[in-house]
Amino acid sequence: MAPGDSSMAKKISGPRILTANLLGDGLVVFLGTDGSWAPGLESARLAHSNDDVAQLEAVGGEAARANHIVDPYLIEVEDTGSSLLPIEMRERMRARGPSVNLEFNSRSNGHALVADQAVAG
Amino acid sequence: MYRYDEFDATFVSERVVQFRDQVERRVKGELSEEQFRPLRLMNGLYLQLHAYMLRVAVPYGTLNSRQMHKLAFIADKFDRGYGHFTTRQNIQYNWPKLPDVPAILDNLAEVEMHAIQTSGNCIRNVTADQWSGVAADEVEDPRPYAELMRQWSSLHPEFSFLPRKFKIAVTGDEADRAVIAYHDIGLRLKKNSAGDIGFEIFVGGGMGRTPMIAARVREWLPKSELLGYLEAVMRVYNLNGRRDNKYKARIKILVHELGAEEFTRQVEEEYARLDVPQGLPSDQELERIAAYFAPPAYEDLAENDADHTQHLVDNKEFAEWVERNVAPHKVTGYAIVNISLKPVGGVPGDATSGQMRAIADLAQKMSLDEIRVTHEQNLVLPNVRKHDLFAVWQELKEHKLADANLGLATDIISCPGLDYCGLATARSIPISQDISNRLGDIKRQRDIGDLKIKISGCINACGHHHAGHIGILGLEKRGVEYYQITLGGSGDENAAVGQIIGPGFSSETVTDAVETIVDTYVDLRQNGETFLEAYRRVGAEPFKEAVYATH
Repeated sequence: MAPGDSSMAKKISGPRILTANLLGDGLVVFLGTDGSWAPGLESARLAHSNDDVAQLEAVGGEAARANHIVDPYLIEVEDTGSSLLPIEMRERMRARGPSVNLEFNSRSNGHALVADQAVAG
Repeated sequence: MYRYDEFDATFVSERVVQFRDQVERRVKGELSEEQFRPLRLMNGLYLQLHAYMLRVAVPYGTLNSRQMHKLAFIADKFDRGYGHFTTRQNIQYNWPKLPDVPAILDNLAEVEMHAIQTSGNCIRNVTADQWSGVAADEVEDPRPYAELMRQWSSLHPEFSFLPRKFKIAVTGDEADRAVIAYHDIGLRLKKNSAGDIGFEIFVGGGMGRTPMIAARVREWLPKSELLGYLEAVMRVYNLNGRRDNKYKARIKILVHELGAEEFTRQVEEEYARLDVPQGLPSDQELERIAAYFAPPAYEDLAENDADHTQHLVDNKEFAEWVERNVAPHKVTGYAIVNISLKPVGGVPGDATSGQMRAIADLAQKMSLDEIRVTHEQNLVLPNVRKHDLFAVWQELKEHKLADANLGLATDIISCPGLDYCGLATARSIPISQDISNRLGDIKRQRDIGDLKIKISGCINACGHHHAGHIGILGLEKRGVEYYQITLGGSGDENAAVGQIIGPGFSSETVTDAVETIVDTYVDLRQNGETFLEAYRRVGAEPFKEAVYATH
């Protein structure tokens, strides 16, 4: 697993989700509740316990071995009830996409607004 | 400019074939990411925060129009229509897809470009003064020596796995526009007391978490001894540089720990018993390479051009652009045009494919087919007839490339920061945009005068904040970005490391702090002092008092 995954071995202090980059285009994705990897984190599968973490870890490892994704790792999020907000600044940026060059870099996924609020806040 | 010989062309083509195979094996799963990572990095391909990033070398910052057209083509066909020029005179594409990268490298090879050694613990792209070969007061064009070092260092078996990355910069002028004091090795061509031209050699400069100004290890070295002497420096580093701690692995740490005197002694001792032939490069080889850098076919022109003079009188905006962005040329009747990639509120160093094409066309028509990339993330048309300056300016204006802010407050260096970079701890581009918008009024900028603001989004200092008159370092604490300010840094021939003025500022207040510093300077300056001159006279105290009293 990639840097940032040290939390996987620790007791869970908050909910986690699994993220990675796609092998082909390198874009940021999150593991969804339906088992697919999608750019938005709004439907990301949450881990609340060590068992959940182990399951996500297994899914990530399998997807990496299948050469679908690169460097899967878990990130901590805040579940507000209506949205998921990554705790770390770096992860908020990954979820959101660049805050500059918007004319070139606009992303079509629906999570951008939520993450925008997180960055702005 | 340098043209690939048969060896260069074969080497680059073979590398593309090799990498295509490696990419195919990675996509098929025959290579794991752990196996593939070092292979892609050897070809300049990083996996960054949001996507892959390809870093393309622009050797010693020199391009022709064909190459710039190709960079624009790649931006459109394989990326998102723009590229980012960096502080190492490279260009970075932020969104290439892995399966497309071999095709990108094929396209680069067609115009004698590549991405080799833009990553890894090897000798990186050798950088040079962007005015090389055209500066009015230059001793000698340093680019043939930069090319010589490129050839010497490419895949050099002894220097492909150094303790850390290694950066060399070279200038042929007393005025340092290549930041040689902040490089692992900095070279300056100069005359000795007998009038012979040789190299003054500096070793152990660097930015990062431990900024250091390079120590002079040789006051003057005959040109014919360059490679032998560099070999000795590299061997001392390779043997004694630390490999146990990446934060202490750069040559600057070795020079610092040994002391400059002892380090120099070891280099001289190594050089004395070197087992490579003396006289490297040979006169013949130097002449062969120098021939590629022979001056273009300049016309025999008068010093002044009547039409140009009239335009200066008639058009104030043009005259102000000439004053800031145009520099004297060594050939009578010509000028050096500096193109700002720092529009007010823009992203420093970015150029759209359309802008790249416009610059390529201008270079072909009016700059004897040459373009330069600067470490300050701007571009240069180095060979423009004074007569053509007005037409060049009009064309640049049409493409939003005529900002008359070279060396002014909005000519900000900024690394990509947390908007793109996987190592960054905070965003740097939005801060540069905010400062640029705040100080952007051109009258105000001209009143402030020469001012270098440089912003890095992490301690690695790719935005050269240590060398900024005002330096800004973005950090993160408990999920929130904050920014340290340093004052008094400089990357020129009087290089200095900026000093932290105190506690950091939030992203909302750092621009206010910068503005307060600038206003304090305007209030206390004497007799036309620049910001740096005023800082060196009064020290940090008045600025600290002003900033921390109001923030």
